[in-house]
Amino acid sequence: MLEKIKKKTVTRPDYRIIGKPLPRHDAWGKVFAETKYANDYKLPDMLYAKVLRSRYPAAKLLSIDTREAAKLSGVAAVMTAKDVPHNETVTRFGQTHKVGGFEGLYRVLAEKKVRFRGDAVALVAAKSLAIAEEALGLIKVKYEPLEGVFDPVEAMKPGAYPVGEDESNVICSYKVRKGDIAKGFDLADVIVENTYRVPMVDHAYLEPESGVAWLDDGGVITIRAATQVIEHFRGIADVLGLPHNKVRVIAPMVGGGFGGKEDITVETYLALLVWKTGKPVSLTYTREESIIAHSKRHPYVMKYKTGATKDGKLVAMEAEMISDAGGYVFLSPWVLLYSTVNATGPYDITHVRVDCHAVLTNNTFSSANRGFGAPQPCFAYESQLDEIAKQLNLSPLEIRKKNYLHTGDSLATGRVLEHSVETEQTAEKAMEALGSPSQPGSPSEKIGQGMASGMMSYGRMTFLHDTSRSYVSLEMDGSVTVKCGVQDIGGGQASSLAQIAAEVLGVSMEDVTVYIGDSALTPLAGTTTATRQLYMSGNATYKAAMAVRDNLFNKAADILDTAPENLDIKDRKIFIKPDIKHDPDRVLAFDDVVKACAADGVQLYNVAQFNAPARELIDFQTGQGQVFADFTFGTHAMEVAVDVDTGKVNVLKIVACYDVGQAINPLSAEGQLEGGALYGLGYGMIEEVILDKGNTLTPSLAEYLIPTSVDAPDVKTIMIESGGGVGPFGAKGLGEPSCVSVAPAFANAVSDATGVRIYDLPVTPEKILKALGKI
Amino acid sequence: MTPTEYVKPGDLSDLRQVMAEYKARATVIAGGTNLIPEMRNGEESPELLIDISDMTELSFIRENNGSIAIGAATTIAEVASSPVLLDNSPILASAAKQLGNPLTRNRATLGGNLANASPCADTAPPLLALDAAVEILSPGGKTRQVPLNKFFLGYKFTDLVKGEVLTGITFPKPNDSTKGSHTKIGLRNAASICVASIAVMLDMDGKTCRKARVAAGSVAPIPMRAYRVEKFLEGKEINAPLLEECMAVVKEEISPISDIRGSLEYRSYVTSMILKRNIKRALK
Amino acid sequence: MKTYPVEINVNGEWRKAEVTAHDTLLDALRDSFGAFEVKNGCAQGDCGACTVILNDKAVNACLTLALQADGKNVTTLKGVGTPDNPHPLQQSFVEHGAIQCGFCTPGMVVSAKALLDKNPEPNRNEIREGISGNLCRCTGYTKIVEAIENASLRREK
Repeated sequence: MLEKIKKKTVTRPDYRIIGKPLPRHDAWGKVFAETKYANDYKLPDMLYAKVLRSRYPAAKLLSIDTREAAKLSGVAAVMTAKDVPHNETVTRFGQTHKVGGFEGLYRVLAEKKVRFRGDAVALVAAKSLAIAEEALGLIKVKYEPLEGVFDPVEAMKPGAYPVGEDESNVICSYKVRKGDIAKGFDLADVIVENTYRVPMVDHAYLEPESGVAWLDDGGVITIRAATQVIEHFRGIADVLGLPHNKVRVIAPMVGGGFGGKEDITVETYLALLVWKTGKPVSLTYTREESIIAHSKRHPYVMKYKTGATKDGKLVAMEAEMISDAGGYVFLSPWVLLYSTVNATGPYDITHVRVDCHAVLTNNTFSSANRGFGAPQPCFAYESQLDEIAKQLNLSPLEIRKKNYLHTGDSLATGRVLEHSVETEQTAEKAMEALGSPSQPGSPSEKIGQGMASGMMSYGRMTFLHDTSRSYVSLEMDGSVTVKCGVQDIGGGQASSLAQIAAEVLGVSMEDVTVYIGDSALTPLAGTTTATRQLYMSGNATYKAAMAVRDNLFNKAADILDTAPENLDIKDRKIFIKPDIKHDPDRVLAFDDVVKACAADGVQLYNVAQFNAPARELIDFQTGQGQVFADFTFGTHAMEVAVDVDTGKVNVLKIVACYDVGQAINPLSAEGQLEGGALYGLGYGMIEEVILDKGNTLTPSLAEYLIPTSVDAPDVKTIMIESGGGVGPFGAKGLGEPSCVSVAPAFANAVSDATGVRIYDLPVTPEKILKALGKI
Repeated sequence: MTPTEYVKPGDLSDLRQVMAEYKARATVIAGGTNLIPEMRNGEESPELLIDISDMTELSFIRENNGSIAIGAATTIAEVASSPVLLDNSPILASAAKQLGNPLTRNRATLGGNLANASPCADTAPPLLALDAAVEILSPGGKTRQVPLNKFFLGYKFTDLVKGEVLTGITFPKPNDSTKGSHTKIGLRNAASICVASIAVMLDMDGKTCRKARVAAGSVAPIPMRAYRVEKFLEGKEINAPLLEECMAVVKEEISPISDIRGSLEYRSYVTSMILKRNIKRALK
Repeated sequence: MKTYPVEINVNGEWRKAEVTAHDTLLDALRDSFGAFEVKNGCAQGDCGACTVILNDKAVNACLTLALQADGKNVTTLKGVGTPDNPHPLQQSFVEHGAIQCGFCTPGMVVSAKALLDKNPEPNRNEIREGISGNLCRCTGYTKIVEAIENASLRREK
């Protein structure tokens, strides 16, 4: 036991470029107004598109009459389901590996019935946005409203309104079985049982879904859209009945993704209208459309029963999670799988029983949202721990320290955590940084401190056999080009590749140009999702750069009459390592070696593929097996001031402490932790998409509230660099892990301040007053 | 979409002319922070817009003869930072400072906030507590004064008739024995639609309340004066037990609704809490 | 649709357009003047992505009619500074990692400029107040506040 707790002091190598807080190469373009986002693009003869959406959350679609709309002057096309070559597609889960069991039926445009309020029914393209909007109003749709179902628990019951094409609304169910749960609860001295609820929330990226598409040379439908996945070109081509090489998707710099631009948004609509009219088409969702009609984070109902001995050791955890998938399947099965693996959190628990279900309803559909199923159970298991701690008279930190997993331990799914697990260290450091509680400002103000630890994978599920590719080349003058299909959604996905290439090739960041996100011209790097890009494309870029370097070193070794292993590269010079005896003026200028290679036809470019560990699908009846390559572990500590007369909460301190493995760029890494903290704080404190029988009551950013600059303090970030990640240079992924444990830290802090606990997010002033018995 | 016409009168005499010509066809636009979103979503389809946003004659904050006069086209930002108002009516400046965000405050106007007639209008409760009156210009050229507590007639419905222009707001300069306080409850700290608000102005004679003005926002179809609370306080010595009783009185008088921002129970409770708090704060 | 001529000075250059009474300044800037740096995040004043300086005040371009900007000066991000002559804010934002996806950046920098023009040495609370009309979903605001503070110190030199 002592062995594991002993703090490791890891000294990270001092790299030349890696680990330095260098400005991102794309930041200059953004700050000088040069960067063009998806709809900052205007083409001659361009048409403007609008989507007609369902007026009901559940209804039969009896007829659509588009004649009047099509006749309106300036309208170039009106399309409905019958105009789509392959309107129905079935997605089997997994892009590179066939996975059986569940399928998702999609229709590009609604046919026969509509399944949620934002369901797309028709498309219009016209000479101006105003004409397109007018045309929408002229489309006559006859609906027969149906009763629908809006509660996932109700939707699970036999005889419930069938949302989709099957009798059952249950999409999929997973289990984890470890040990003997009845025995576990027998061993427990303290048992805590609660039901937790988390709401539907929105990604609320500043850039709404948008794109411009056109017909390019050779009949290639080219789509330039705000997307996290250029690989959708295949699915789009299938809808149109075109060969895959006749559809090209380009991802410009994206104004925020968070998983909301992971599924297809505007791309297929654009492709259809371009295909129909032959003209360029532009489509941007309004903010209302984005909130009403596009994907959300799954609302969950979670029943948790946790048992511990009087010493605080967790011996039993039973969890049942029901996920509201909304009207369509999309990524619900995968989100549920993440929740299943994350259900117990970063803790060692002897007996575990988890049952998770994803259910269709007629609410807005949910899919990927930062954290992808990890934040929901974290709210439950971190709240449970604090309740147990209270009953046992232990502090939140004490109880967690008795149960944290460490490197080499196993999750409840039997998966051994072979890479660094420093959760305990992050918790100690976070609480230390939080410091002693502030003084209340008035008699009605109560100060509270709370913490929560979390875990989340980075890299995709291993049964998807994930790969990424990157191309690195040296130009004749020694400048460096990187080409990679990576999509940059703001996390510095592109810039990190420049940083890695520069480190390996001994040049500066300014010497590297990065081309990204073009399905026709850049090696495909996979999705910008699952916090996988630094890990996958970073490793691929490293591999490619090293291959180029090896060729340089082979040539230089020839010239210097030494072995390639004896060489090093720095500041555009190739030289023999200082610890090897040699003539001091045997140094070569980088550019000279490049020229020598060019003269001899030595290849100075490389396309490298990086493969994630490939596993098979786990057993969904026991949940045993490896699903992810590695996880990132961290802790949030928060201090709040609660006005117990009004319920208002002021956040006084936020600390985020993570084992980041190796910060490739500390500014970017901190940026993820700071941004993730506010993203999670919103979830804990004020965000909720409110639906009434499937109708969105919070369609604008005046009703759907996210934190402003005056709703939170500075976020203090502490990064532990264990070097124990599987990303390049030992890095771990941060994009999603950084937001997982924030909401429970907030809820725990409020509970500490008030003495009462809120079991459903967001923790609002009204709920606090209600729990205090004041209303 | 209605092909809307637009005119921008240069000064008050131009305005009178334009009003006489267009009468009830005219919709007045000042900052446009409410009207422009309503035009976008189709809630409003004005035939003709009269733009008074740049009319300097309607943009002023003046102290004369014991009263404060504010032009209707004065921006909320100007109201929030005016030394005259910070000095004489800090509750108005405080409410203005919490309206919207710094960007909307640079365009939104005091007249617009009142004419829009939302029950959540941030500046209405302080102005009611200050015994304010509005000045209205009619198409015929006549002007009339309407006390603010007679101006709000129903949900989103005021004494303003289409074609009229609200030109100014006045209130008597509070005397030295009058103290005020204001609180707005919102769901976040900026750009937050009011959930409940209270403004009080108490003219004190030692510990006894000589005259009370209490106004509440977002808890009735209109921004309202809490007359029963005022009557309850007037002539009495303000102490802790009285304040507790007062809380029950205000709960009887307001009529909040439940909506996405809060339940009526929450609004009711919180209004009574901030009433107590504001009276205490005013008397400090 | 009835249109009216407007003349607006965009970043120092007088530009003409024909607009309807419904067109907002945001519409005119993006559709008539090619000012793509002015972003549309919500079109109703809730997000600040379209922040410009109108004469001397920071405003939402989506909450101003194009007609209301007639004869006035509009400053967008392009008018704040250029690669040859960057504003300290632009320098600071890049160096402090205050830009992630960059979509809020044009509005944020313009708001910050308006703040510093009025209050050259704001404390952190005043900075946060000053940008409270500009939403950011990526950065969590911490580095934006640091960058603005740093820029204000640079201007002193």
